[in-house]
Amino acid sequence: MSRNRDGTERSERAERFDSLSADSAIAADVKALMLAGDRDAARERFAALVAGQQRRAVRLAYQYLRDTHDADEAVQDAFLKVFTHITTYREDLPFEVWFTRILVNACLDLRKARARRLRWVLPMERFGAAGSPQPEAADRTASTEDRLVEEARVKEIAAAVDQLPERQRTVFMLSHFGEQTTSQVSEALGLSEATVRVHLFRAVRKLRRLLER
Amino acid sequence: MGRHLHVSDDRLVEVCLEGTITTTENLHFASCEECSARRVRLERMLREVSDAASLEAERAFPADKLAAQQARILQRIEQDGRPARVISFPATQAADLRALRTRPAGRWIAAAAAAGLVIGLLAGHFAHDLPSFGSPARTAVVRPASAPETTATVRAVNASINDEEFLGELETALDGPHVAVLRPLNDLTPR
Repeated sequence: MSRNRDGTERSERAERFDSLSADSAIAADVKALMLAGDRDAARERFAALVAGQQRRAVRLAYQYLRDTHDADEAVQDAFLKVFTHITTYREDLPFEVWFTRILVNACLDLRKARARRLRWVLPMERFGAAGSPQPEAADRTASTEDRLVEEARVKEIAAAVDQLPERQRTVFMLSHFGEQTTSQVSEALGLSEATVRVHLFRAVRKLRRLLER
Repeated sequence: MGRHLHVSDDRLVEVCLEGTITTTENLHFASCEECSARRVRLERMLREVSDAASLEAERAFPADKLAAQQARILQRIEQDGRPARVISFPATQAADLRALRTRPAGRWIAAAAAAGLVIGLLAGHFAHDLPSFGSPARTAVVRPASAPETTATVRAVNASINDEEFLGELETALDGPHVAVLRPLNDLTPR
């Protein structure tokens, strides 16, 4: 990779953080409106915050839960919780760190609930022949060889990510899919930066072992 | 970093994930084919993982689903601020309740149950005072104090069940000589 390419990457990242700062500003606006008692205006402003964070949130939640309905529920619950507790938002922290923490907690709650459900309520047929929950909503309309190869690779990658231990997986997802820096992941998870790095290195090492051919 | 001192795996991960790179490292990557190849391989792998995740998420949540989710979030927020809606009981249950309320037998049963409760409470109250039953002075103190309370209780029951005849009998019984009524209980009480 050339020096030029490096420069481009850095500026993309900077843009990303600029947009995250914009979301922090919107969150501060929503907070001010709520404190002023103007709930309707706060709700309207909050729509911009949802639009800004939704795609990232969905990607994270789906990676975490691997189930469309659960991911949908986790994202909705997280946004609802954000709005309900927006008056406690600290403007000195980036909004996405706070939001990520809430989202991860929502995902963890749902995973626990799903584990309970699987253990006590649902019979073994839920697992079916595959032995693990399958990614949903695969578009089966295209049937070219390329598409099948791509599908297989996506499944292989998903399975490799699923094999990571819980903590490593969370750290890797937040830092790679969630586009967060080590310090932001450390803030979001309440871990030291050194610990985050250790989990991240181990996760990447394991993924390389599993995926590199 | 020398020519033969390669970039560590952990540092390579940081370089690929965070995009932070020092000038020395940059020079090393330019001159070391091995590290450069490692970097390319790792970046390709990470890009592949990221693309796979994005593809999965996009398939699971296409644009229309995202729009629906956004609408649902805002709707839930709107509903959250409203007071709870009162849901009326189904008509059939209300009709059943009305029928029960107007049935005479039901009213008698309710009145008898209330009266039984009052008698039980009063009997319990007086039975508690039985050890001092024989002393006239003590009786004189207790009776005036309990009389207004008894009347108040009876009046409350009277108003609620609205059965003049039955409660009239009850009042008469309570205003009469308690000693005679409660003597059998007194006899049964161990000393």
